[in-house]
Amino acid sequence: MALTIHNRDRLSAAFRFVILIAIVLIFFLPLVSMFVTSLKRMDELYRVPARVFPEQALWKNYLEAWTLVRFGKYLVNSIILTLLYALPAIMSSCFAGYAFSRFQVRESRAVFLVVLSTMMVPAMVTIMPLYMIMAKLGFANQRILWFFWGLAGIPFIIFLFRQFFSTIPISFEESARMDGAGRFQIFFRIMFPLVQTGVIVAAIFAFQWSWSEFLMPVLFLTDEKSTLAVKIAMGYSDMKENVLYNIGMAGIVYYTLPIVIVFFSLQRRFVAGLLAGGLKG
Amino acid sequence: MSTATTRFSLERHKRTSFYLFLLPWIIGFLFMQVTPIIWGFLISLTNRSAFPIAVRFVGLKNYLELFRDKAVLGSYWVSFVYTIANTLIGVITGFLFALMLDRNLPGRGFFRTILYFPYMIPMVAVGWIFRIFLERDTGFLNIVLMRLGILESGIPFIQQSPMGSILILSFWQAGWSMIIFLGALSTVPRELYEVATIDGAGYGRRVRHIMLPLISPFIFFQLVMSFIYAMQAFIQPYILNPRPIRGNWLMTNTPPEETFFVMSRAYYIITSQNKFSYGLAMLWVLFAVVLLGTILFVKFGGFWVYTEAEERK
Repeated sequence: MALTIHNRDRLSAAFRFVILIAIVLIFFLPLVSMFVTSLKRMDELYRVPARVFPEQALWKNYLEAWTLVRFGKYLVNSIILTLLYALPAIMSSCFAGYAFSRFQVRESRAVFLVVLSTMMVPAMVTIMPLYMIMAKLGFANQRILWFFWGLAGIPFIIFLFRQFFSTIPISFEESARMDGAGRFQIFFRIMFPLVQTGVIVAAIFAFQWSWSEFLMPVLFLTDEKSTLAVKIAMGYSDMKENVLYNIGMAGIVYYTLPIVIVFFSLQRRFVAGLLAGGLKG
Repeated sequence: MSTATTRFSLERHKRTSFYLFLLPWIIGFLFMQVTPIIWGFLISLTNRSAFPIAVRFVGLKNYLELFRDKAVLGSYWVSFVYTIANTLIGVITGFLFALMLDRNLPGRGFFRTILYFPYMIPMVAVGWIFRIFLERDTGFLNIVLMRLGILESGIPFIQQSPMGSILILSFWQAGWSMIIFLGALSTVPRELYEVATIDGAGYGRRVRHIMLPLISPFIFFQLVMSFIYAMQAFIQPYILNPRPIRGNWLMTNTPPEETFFVMSRAYYIITSQNKFSYGLAMLWVLFAVVLLGTILFVKFGGFWVYTEAEERK
């Protein structure tokens, strides 16, 4: 009896394994397409019947993806804005999560509902008017906006941090308070190091959000300050305004690479953090 | 007496701490959310355009006009259809993935990472990747299908169904809801399955009577979140536009009516047609719809959600 259940489990695992392999293969197709296209010649793309692989891998496309637009400049811009957004976003969310977990006053619940309700506000509903206000005041083309955007935090991350802090015994702080430590000392010396996993999750989220943000830079920033997201969205084209798909795909490989690296180096802790903190409760 | 004062000062200390730690968020919230929302609403009551000459208060005129504007109503409908389809595809796919990954399986971590991965790729990149993937002549999908002998000749997927080509992304990017459901499934006590198995319940019944009720709060959460995010879809129809894209004209090349989402049209109305107040009114109606929809859904849509008796308030 026990043996049949065991066997059935193994059979089910094998079955699911095969299905998942098939799905993974299908999931990889668009990425393979991206990579293969990035190595083809432009005229090769329109030849019928089309070939799966390029006649000759054209690595030159990767060079052109970098030189055809001032890729380095947009990369630096993207990095600046990402840091400018991510740091306050992580800190502000962490602070807020701490406040909601530790200092529950009468209105805490109501304020927390306000935090959660900001998830319901479509981004454009705030960004469009903000753009008009800033344009009117002559502040539109300012990177500092990303800092304020960060201060507004990420509701989901605030929720996550609240959960994380709630799992830390309150006695940790009380003994520190007995020793005469101030509230910020307690926070930075004791509490903050204990929610590292939360910080990693927050950092990945914040990075992903600002790295992929299109609306903000396209509205606010001039070309000088614009980001990779905008450049990638607009695509590469030649003098006759033909879109260069192959070089565009090479650009996308560059653009996606940092996210891939960050994700794969941190994914174990990222997923663990999501599963441990945010989702239970 | 003295304990009362201590409690009072403790409460005050607590409140000070609460607001001190919340201060950065409050600043950001006031600056990034409250001010723009209110200002946007006020402007939507005027006739302001890009050139603010003779701006005056026109009351609800813009809103009334919205409801007579066939194109705008069409956009709301298109966004609504997309939202429903996207939510269903995302939630069902994510749930099935999680179901397959939940129990012991060789390479579980690998599958989880790979299936989550597409969600990490920025939307503008995903859009272009699929624009090329689905193209008739250059498209890899057509090439593969023809090589496998499934297709005779290439299909112009994007031209044939712009909406379908955008919805494929919901399938590809279902990783987020998979993670949510994996977390949900890990909260279901194993013993319950074992007991049910001993009682003779098959897999289907275990899923229906034990798993689904227990993870229903997560399903609910995921439905709400997906609804909110899908309503905001904006750039997809511009990139997966069946019309050819030339040079740097991506954002001036309007999508076809069947995928002209609310956000995409609002962007177009504001930036290309310069009708500021009209576009803001359109955004405000969407905001109201999302808010009202979410509240109604949370209030009345949750009747099927299982809660522990003592948690019910």
